[in-house]
Amino acid sequence: MKQIARRDKLKIYGDLLSILNEETSKDKVVLTRVQVRLNVPFDRLKTYITQLSGLGLIDDENSLKLTEKGKQYIKEYENVLDFMKRMGIAYQ
Amino acid sequence: MNPYDYQTFRIAYEVISAIICLVLVRFMIKPYQLTKESRYLGLPLGFGFLGATYALAAFIFYQPYFFGSTTIYLQLILRSFAFIFLVVTYYFSRQTADVGRKLWNTTLAILIIAFLTLFLPVIIPDIALPSYQLTSSFTRVFNLICIIYICAHTLRSHVEKPEPETIWIPFGYIFLAISQYLLIIFAVDESMAAWWSALGIRWVALAIFLIISCRSFYCFKRGD
Repeated sequence: MKQIARRDKLKIYGDLLSILNEETSKDKVVLTRVQVRLNVPFDRLKTYITQLSGLGLIDDENSLKLTEKGKQYIKEYENVLDFMKRMGIAYQ
Repeated sequence: MNPYDYQTFRIAYEVISAIICLVLVRFMIKPYQLTKESRYLGLPLGFGFLGATYALAAFIFYQPYFFGSTTIYLQLILRSFAFIFLVVTYYFSRQTADVGRKLWNTTLAILIIAFLTLFLPVIIPDIALPSYQLTSSFTRVFNLICIIYICAHTLRSHVEKPEPETIWIPFGYIFLAISQYLLIIFAVDESMAAWWSALGIRWVALAIFLIISCRSFYCFKRGD
């Protein structure tokens, strides 16, 4: 059976922001859907959201959405990940 | 080509190669800047050292007697270490973050000690150095082996997850390997065709790296 690589916090934050970015572009963010896509327990998801909100990357007052800082971060994150993939370097 | 024209051409060629490497270093450092994972430091170090060898080559052509003949040995050492840094980065990128981090720090310390050990005999005067021709051939064979490892690694990554954009980087390294191979041919039989081809192919390889980097950071589109 293939072992799933353990993700570090940065990867989880990046993945969470990517998912939130996609979900907000569709319609209202449903946390359980985010949880399933991110593959983390619900309580931990709530912790990550609080931490990202504290960093000013997401706004969770009315509904979850990325702030301008969050959008900039996710753009940079996806660019770097794309670059690493093109360079043949795994990020795990 | 008369000697003066050749000297001017080589200075321009090496300076442009060094500038391309400098631009590449700006891109190659981004994975480290984002992740703060020291195991990705080998990429900017590798291309930085490579750029330094090109800058040094340009300086040697401009002022052949400024540092003395030992500079050409320094160039060989720097180039080999550039490829070692790249090999180490590709090797550790497959390890998990914890293992990669610990092993990378140890490896970096060993590489720095090895570099200084090789660097000292070059700068200390009156130490008998081996023949340049022989050293050059050996280091180029070593560089070729390093690049072949990186080619195999990147091709393996591509085969595991085949995507159109991941095929270009193995080509970049293959061109770099061909360039090194042609330089070995030149060192053995002084074939000028091999020499000029090596120079041309090196630029093709650097251009591929530059295009890949620019496409990632400036032309990146995902569902936009």
